[in-house]
Amino acid sequence: MSHVWLPCGDYHQTYEEDQGWWQTTFIKTKMVLLLLVVFVGIPQFLDDYWISVGTMVGYTAMGALGVQLLIGYAGLITLGHAAFIAVGAYTSTLMVLQVPWPQFMIDWGLAYPVSILAAAVTAGIWSVLFGLPSAKVKGFYLILTTMAAQFITVDFILTQYVSQIGGRGQAFSLPPGTIKIGPWIIDTETEVYYTMAVLITLMVIVLANLLRSKAGRAWVAIRDNDIAAEALGINIVWYKLLAFFVAGAMAGVAGAFWVSNTAALSPEHFPWFWSLWLVGVILIGGVGSIHGAVFGSIFMVVVMELLQMAVIPLSIYYPKLLMDFAFIKDMAFGLAICAFLIYEPNGLAYRWWQIKNYFNLWPFSY
Amino acid sequence: MKGKNALMVLVPMLAVALLFGLSTAAVAADVKIGGIMDTTGATSDVGKDYAIGMEEAFKYINEQGGINGKMVKYTWFDYGYRIPEAITKYKLLKRLKSLVIMGWGTGDTEALSPTVNKDQIPYVSASYSAHLTDPKKSRYNLFFSSDYSTNARACLTAWFDKKWPKHPDYGKRKPRFACAYMFASPYCSAPIKAVKDHAQMLGFEIGEDQDVSLFALDTKSQIMALKKFEPDVCWHGNTTMSVSATIRDAYSLGLGADWIVNNWGMDENLPRLAGEAAKGVMGATPCAFYGQDYKNMDVVVATAKKYNPGIPQEKRLIRTIQAWGDALITWEALIRADKAGAMTGDGVMVKGFETLRNYDIGLGASPVTFTADDHRPTTGCLVQEWTGEKFVEVERVDLKERWPEKWAEAWLGW
Repeated sequence: MSHVWLPCGDYHQTYEEDQGWWQTTFIKTKMVLLLLVVFVGIPQFLDDYWISVGTMVGYTAMGALGVQLLIGYAGLITLGHAAFIAVGAYTSTLMVLQVPWPQFMIDWGLAYPVSILAAAVTAGIWSVLFGLPSAKVKGFYLILTTMAAQFITVDFILTQYVSQIGGRGQAFSLPPGTIKIGPWIIDTETEVYYTMAVLITLMVIVLANLLRSKAGRAWVAIRDNDIAAEALGINIVWYKLLAFFVAGAMAGVAGAFWVSNTAALSPEHFPWFWSLWLVGVILIGGVGSIHGAVFGSIFMVVVMELLQMAVIPLSIYYPKLLMDFAFIKDMAFGLAICAFLIYEPNGLAYRWWQIKNYFNLWPFSY
Repeated sequence: MKGKNALMVLVPMLAVALLFGLSTAAVAADVKIGGIMDTTGATSDVGKDYAIGMEEAFKYINEQGGINGKMVKYTWFDYGYRIPEAITKYKLLKRLKSLVIMGWGTGDTEALSPTVNKDQIPYVSASYSAHLTDPKKSRYNLFFSSDYSTNARACLTAWFDKKWPKHPDYGKRKPRFACAYMFASPYCSAPIKAVKDHAQMLGFEIGEDQDVSLFALDTKSQIMALKKFEPDVCWHGNTTMSVSATIRDAYSLGLGADWIVNNWGMDENLPRLAGEAAKGVMGATPCAFYGQDYKNMDVVVATAKKYNPGIPQEKRLIRTIQAWGDALITWEALIRADKAGAMTGDGVMVKGFETLRNYDIGLGASPVTFTADDHRPTTGCLVQEWTGEKFVEVERVDLKERWPEKWAEAWLGW
């Protein structure tokens, strides 16, 4: 087999070969280039504003990966993911602000990294609690139970009880220098971006690995036909709850990261609309694909920013464009979902797959 | 084919617009000021008028020669009261090199506070949260009005001074006090600790808080809960729409308590929405209502008529005046900073805002003072009451004058 290209008709003989990530030199080069763009190109050559847009793409993708796992891989529809992000954000913030850390932990910049792990575990467990009904219900009924997560978690528990910790009222504010990883204080746009880039890379690696494991195959089997999956001996309740745990943990990491971006926190950071937005992200990006979560995030954040850019000069002649921009944005969001569902129901990831195939088969791509 | 033609026109148009938008040179102007407003979100019932008023104020400022002859380029965005959206808009305005940013809600202003401090961009907001008044914590946050905690303390004091002595139970028992507000909203909850502290200081018995959403249309369950406590006076910390829903329900269910309301819940729409129930409602008013006879009001009204003739005058609110209040202090600060040759974020703060001493903007507002140690713009607040026909002054409460020690030492920053 060629080590540069993957020729037609050269089939893999083992599961390991089949599931290998970077199988050829071409793919390896491509991925190294991608990493260079993400870790060097964007933070070194773009201005602060575009770096912050990149950070928003990453934050959106972190949330969308969990939604993708639940909806796209396990077939468990969720509309309450913002609640789990909120749990992660609050866990991390409270740990950083309220835990009496030993001095060496603060000096070595370990408090925030430990709080990220704690946020992942807490949000994962919290997500499992709201995933419990999935043992009995699915479809529309499951949507309602996940929506309950938003109202119970954000509107009730976080707002009325957790926010009062420390007597601050509703909002927490993290003093400068609090978010520290090792020797680095996460303070500038570039540092926040790097934190995001590392976390999203790790999350993609974890999820991609999980999906090619026994758990991943079980999730896909449950999504495709839960009765058949059960007949095959898959413990569907266990794997559904595992999916909720992993998705919740990813949301927890996203929430803990969000704190480093804003250095402030209130329940208003996690509206129910954000859960809906994340579902829109994977619908546009492509359901059932990690690429989909990332492409969807890029599309939703960057396209909306470009739309905003286009509106600025036009607003001199049509001031209402700015006044009603949030409506225009929501309309664009709705239209994009409709357009994708009609013209590209498999999302941007499918289009990407087609483009890749075209070049892989070139010059015989017909 | 028709659709194709439309696309052929639309796509190049958008592309050109995008090109201009992407270029920072597209907004070349002498002094760039940004704005983050809510004209479509949860607080748009009061935010739209504020946003329109702000734009009119900057047009007027340019008519008057701008900042010592330099024109102001005011670029603003609607963020729909969504915090993540406010953060991206802030970063876009920073990229557009805004010298000062006019902000909106408490949630986003508090969320952005660490960032504006780091970036040294004065952020003049419509959030009057007392959390933003301590320069040690939030140096670059400013506003022209009395803060929410001062509003709440002033309203309660005015009620205690003027209404409680007329109550049949006066002298027989402690007055009873409760709060209704949206727990989840930083704006609504910002002054709660202060107003309860004040109630305790004045000797009130305090009941349980009631959670009333900013979107509430029905608040009967909250009123029924309040009825068990039988309050004499209730604080409402929301915006006009939900305040009117609450006092309507209180009226129809016979709660029998007086209402004192924060400034964003007290405007010309309150009697329109609540009708008879609004009679006797008292509220904090950081400035005059639209069209009231005060210094500079003629300028505001004339500018509104000139630039937005399509909006009927009777629909304009106190929010326009509040926007002018923030715009006028910014104007003066920029003029002073420019004269001192300090047109940077820090320069505008030190040579501009922090040089204002009892600066009178007219419009019925209290004189504004900022010092390097204290960003509480005013020491008290005008409390007005809706009599059923018009708003009348109940009392102008000066907290610094009445409790000088507490004002100086205990009440800063919360």
